[in-house]
Amino acid sequence: MNVEESRAWFIFGSLALILLVATPTLGLFVRLPDVSDKFSEFWLLGPGRKAGNYPFNIVVNEIYQVYACVENHLGYSAYYRVLVKFRNQSQPLPVGSNSTRSPLPAIYEFNIFVRDGGVAEKLLRFEIIDVICSDTIMTVNKMSINEATPTINGSATWNAEGNGFFYQFFFELWLYNATVQRHDYNNRFVGFWVNITA
Amino acid sequence: MLGKTWVILKFFFFLLLAVALAPEIVVCATAANESEAASALADADAELTLAYLAVLKAEEAGANVTRLLVRLNESGVLLARARMAYSEAEFEETINLAISTVSIGVEVQAEAVRLKTAAVSESVQRVMLTATASIFGIALIAFGSFWIWSQLKKRYEESTIPKSNSQDAFTDER
Repeated sequence: MNVEESRAWFIFGSLALILLVATPTLGLFVRLPDVSDKFSEFWLLGPGRKAGNYPFNIVVNEIYQVYACVENHLGYSAYYRVLVKFRNQSQPLPVGSNSTRSPLPAIYEFNIFVRDGGVAEKLLRFEIIDVICSDTIMTVNKMSINEATPTINGSATWNAEGNGFFYQFFFELWLYNATVQRHDYNNRFVGFWVNITA
Repeated sequence: MLGKTWVILKFFFFLLLAVALAPEIVVCATAANESEAASALADADAELTLAYLAVLKAEEAGANVTRLLVRLNESGVLLARARMAYSEAEFEETINLAISTVSIGVEVQAEAVRLKTAAVSESVQRVMLTATASIFGIALIAFGSFWIWSQLKKRYEESTIPKSNSQDAFTDER
């Protein structure tokens, strides 16, 4: 190896060392694009905090419970609002294909703030308080959900196939959008069916 | 006698007036209460949103906002309860819950601003320290490399010069 070659290698080694030393400072200014998926997860758990044993056969004046859980993978702390809705078999659900919420009013709602990567869980205890029932029609007038006692007026007709009056509790996930400064429906909903017995 | 009758008449007149106006007065009081509750609810919602946005800014600045999120969740529960109370026409309850929500919101905003300022200050210090250390390191490597290279070159030349002299001498002798 002659002097010129040695000098080239020496310069190369020095520059590599300089680059190594400058890396922490470069890291402060150079941001690599984040290519990870940004999304929220939303699910329900039964009374034993497991994905099963969801309340189905509901008796008036009995208390039942489920857990609504939200996991945040958005890259920042998120402000969620969950709307709890109640419907019979013919009333509309949200439409996933065009991100449209259900037009039904919420019977209960709650807000959750979740840090990035965090999971929040909300216990919902509900009880059907007042129903009017005939042979073919049941009307749920009032129920309690946690501390609230919303008036419902939800009617269902007798389902001869399923042998019951069927209703669905479903939960819509809404996310605060700082750009437009309001909560938008996040195109995620979960729910469970119940058969109410007077 | 006439004076006494006049007093009784006046009493009945005011009694009648009171009975006639009572529903109006009650309706007005309820309406005012409802509008107050609606306004309190809107204020609470706005305050909670402002608190959340302040927390987001603090988080972007690098602050640890875990404790603030806990407080926001407490505030969120109160706001949800206020909304439910409003939908059940419990306006006094709505106002009380909304006031509590606003109180936590204001507290969270103040804390978020404090954390953000601290985080920005820490971040600037960290940048300065890292940049200074890097510049110092680069200078050290550059000057060190130059010095080492010049020393090596010097030694190499010293070791090669006598050889060339002896070669020259050999050539001269030939």
